[in-house]
Amino acid sequence: MPRSSIFLPEHHRRLALGWLLICLALVAALFWLLPRSQINSSVLALLPKQQLAGVPEDVSDAFSKRLDRQLMWLVKPPEGAQRDNALNAWLQKLQKLPALQQVEGPMDDASQRQWGLFFFNHRNALMDAATRARLSAGAAAQSQWILGQVYSAFAGVSGKELTGDPLLLVRASQMAQQQNGAGMTLDNGWLVAKDTQGKSWYLLHAELRASSYDITSSKQIVGQLDALKTQFEAQWPGAKVLERGTVFYSNYASQQAEHDISTLGVASVVGVFLLILLVFRSVIPMLLSLLSISIGALAGAVMTLLVFGEIHVMTLVLSTSIVGISADYTLYFLTDRHVHGGQSTPLESLKKLFPALSMAMLTTVAAYLMLLIAPFPGMQQLAVFAAAGLSAACITVMCWYPYLAKRLPIGPTPGLGLILCWLHAWRSTKKLRIGLPLAVLILATIGGIRLHVDDDIGQLQALPGDLLKQERQIAALTGQSNEQKWLVVYGDTAEQTLQRLEALEPRLAQAKKEGAVAGYRLLGLPSMQRQQADLALLTQRAPQVAAELKQAGLNVSVANVSPQWVTPQAWQHSVISQGWRLLWLSLPDGRSAALVPVNGVSNGAAMQSLAQAMPGVGWVDRKSEFSGLFEQYRVMLSWLLMLAAGVICAIYLWRFRWPHGLICCIPTLLSLAMGVAALGLSGHSLNLFSLLALILVLGIGINYTLFFTNPRGTPTTSMFAVFMAVVTTQLTFGMLVFSSTQAISSFGIVLSSGILTAFVLSPLTLPGKKRGSNK
Amino acid sequence: MRRLVFLMLGLFSLSVHAVTLDDLQQRFSQQPVLRAEFSQQRSVSGMDQKLNSSGILVISRNDGLWWQQEKPFALSLLLTDSRMVQTMAGQPPQTVTAQNNPQMFQFNSLLTALFHADHRALEQNFTLDFSDRGQGNWKLVLTPKTSPLNRLFKTITLEGQTFLNNININDMQGDVTQIRFFNQRTEPKTLTDAEKQHFSS
Repeated sequence: MPRSSIFLPEHHRRLALGWLLICLALVAALFWLLPRSQINSSVLALLPKQQLAGVPEDVSDAFSKRLDRQLMWLVKPPEGAQRDNALNAWLQKLQKLPALQQVEGPMDDASQRQWGLFFFNHRNALMDAATRARLSAGAAAQSQWILGQVYSAFAGVSGKELTGDPLLLVRASQMAQQQNGAGMTLDNGWLVAKDTQGKSWYLLHAELRASSYDITSSKQIVGQLDALKTQFEAQWPGAKVLERGTVFYSNYASQQAEHDISTLGVASVVGVFLLILLVFRSVIPMLLSLLSISIGALAGAVMTLLVFGEIHVMTLVLSTSIVGISADYTLYFLTDRHVHGGQSTPLESLKKLFPALSMAMLTTVAAYLMLLIAPFPGMQQLAVFAAAGLSAACITVMCWYPYLAKRLPIGPTPGLGLILCWLHAWRSTKKLRIGLPLAVLILATIGGIRLHVDDDIGQLQALPGDLLKQERQIAALTGQSNEQKWLVVYGDTAEQTLQRLEALEPRLAQAKKEGAVAGYRLLGLPSMQRQQADLALLTQRAPQVAAELKQAGLNVSVANVSPQWVTPQAWQHSVISQGWRLLWLSLPDGRSAALVPVNGVSNGAAMQSLAQAMPGVGWVDRKSEFSGLFEQYRVMLSWLLMLAAGVICAIYLWRFRWPHGLICCIPTLLSLAMGVAALGLSGHSLNLFSLLALILVLGIGINYTLFFTNPRGTPTTSMFAVFMAVVTTQLTFGMLVFSSTQAISSFGIVLSSGILTAFVLSPLTLPGKKRGSNK
Repeated sequence: MRRLVFLMLGLFSLSVHAVTLDDLQQRFSQQPVLRAEFSQQRSVSGMDQKLNSSGILVISRNDGLWWQQEKPFALSLLLTDSRMVQTMAGQPPQTVTAQNNPQMFQFNSLLTALFHADHRALEQNFTLDFSDRGQGNWKLVLTPKTSPLNRLFKTITLEGQTFLNNININDMQGDVTQIRFFNQRTEPKTLTDAEKQHFSS
């Protein structure tokens, strides 16, 4: 089919019908996809998935998912008689929430007994490190220790205990467990932390039924918990509740994004529509813009969901920015119809505008697709969303508007006088031609000097002060901060994992001694290899210990040294793994992993090399790792941008020759410089996101230059359309500046200042004065 | 009127002579250093033999408690504000700090509270029954009310006059421990150099 044939009425009608069918299919697809997809609001989900310290992806995924579902509270009840009532009231309220499962408060007497019983029944398998050391040193060390315990008035060793467990193995392992208690005491079954004023804070724990990423359910549960908390603190004067959990953060982030979408999005749309209404003085262009924007959003959403299975809130916020760009296509076409509607048919207009429209669409789509280079799911989603959305919006204009725009009122180019004035000034006033770029250059230099680089991923997420305060309090009380730093130990089987964990133990103790970390939590589940070695040791020492005790006057029987193996399954189903189960993971194929949370890390590099030196151990420090990655990609993108700018300049020089070619480079280069400088001037810092914005500045800004350098002569109508495009783009990207998330806000700053500069300076590329008379 | 005055006089004189827990606490707190010898007998159910031990102890208001069992084997227990160290011949000292094991530390701090008749510390964990036995003799029965103490001890009974003389501990398992203190001395009022070494170890 020859290319021009699509402009024949019957062919074009077929195209329009085909596009209608595609749009209907897209609507159907959206309804099919929506219930099967989720909205993701985790900041970490924006980050690249690979490269996590070599830990198998399914393992780290399963752990992050699990950790994200955890919730904990520290409750300070009113003092005195009301204490237990208040604590139980809070516990019961949590237990009644359908969104929570496994709400754990105090360990009741029955579980405490079960706990003791499990230890007793498996005492030969659950030997603690101190006992192992004593038994290895010799029978005397153990018998001396037993004597010390028995003679102590306050140790409370009873005859019954000595008869059942002559080596006091249960007592020793429970003492070791207490050492592991991380600054918390047990009070009537509750885990309690004391603050500096000596007030007690009681620990409760629960798990979310749904993933905390699920936007509606997290909003609901956080709302319920807030209400409970307010009610509780009002009912019990002096009571206080502290909370910790990913859901609180992700809910905050999604609330913020929702707020951004609703206010910024609405402001953008209203601004664009008002502008259209003002310029065209008709509602038809407004409705048509709405149609192309909606179809663009529809196509963008469907493609994103198809490719990624989910959509991130950050993508949604950034996607509001394509409203402005997709409105451009409508405006190009409608401006032409508005001015020339009397002289040419709609299809003739389309034929005339087709190269410009498709060129503009292709450059912008190409710029967005460049974002795919960065391995960040959020940016990749935006790229897919924008590429699909912009193409669909443009195709809608091409296929439908020749019919839909028939009743558009006809009139002269709005603001024609002003445009001519502006262009004339550029051509004739030397001050403007030289002065303005020079002024921009000075401004860009000042901004550039004040600019600093910051790759901290904390920028991505603005944390609310209240949550941060609670977080600090919890960290101070429990000595466990939410640093998201841990070692992952993994292996092909549970046994291999446990053996690796045991090999890690002395290294960790050494690291703690050297001050690299303040503390760590190791799973109390011994490998089968260790259990067998311990049993052999027990079998050897038990008769010797009994003999020595007898000599000292303590007549006890020889300890029973039958095997009492503890398998990972038995451990997981027992009460003793309560509070530890989270740290153990067994995949269906047998591969297993254990998490070793580490706190107070002062030497991350030492931990990194510790992990690297051992097979199956990974050091996970998400924040530093990602900040490093940010830097890496920021540098990579800088080179890429320079290359792109260089190629563009070379093309200009080749096409327009010296010196005009060089002049044509100026707007492009200065728009990039101003985009970056605006960050410095507004006190923001440069990061990866600024560079991603620069790619768009290059992709969108170049259009303006292209139009002005078009040697066939640019009609004022096109120029007006370019002006409208800039204003709508400013209305949308400019809005992002007001986002409460810093990363998005700085993205907006770079884009709007860069594009504005590109537009303002673009007349510089107009061919010399002699051609101006053609207009 | 006269009867009222008489009654008030009677009440007044009563309050002069009766010993209260507050008096005791005040009296004990006025002794900067107390030294004593102890002998302890533990009867563990199911064992025919009684377990006898003896030794010395030093309580310093500022430095803590040092408990030295000498017979039948040497074992020392040092208890300060921040740590508890148990030392046995031929074994590395076992140190428990409030940070690494608050549970056990809290438990052992009760020991100090016992010797100081520290009202408030004791009341957090026990119901107190104080009685004046006449002629300056007194008796304090402690019944644990919090877990895990209430699963270990039935009662802890303190008896004394000028000083604490006896501690009787009744375990939940039916075991009984009796500790007798004698030869109490409050002079010199500061720790000797040798004693200081124990506390700084």
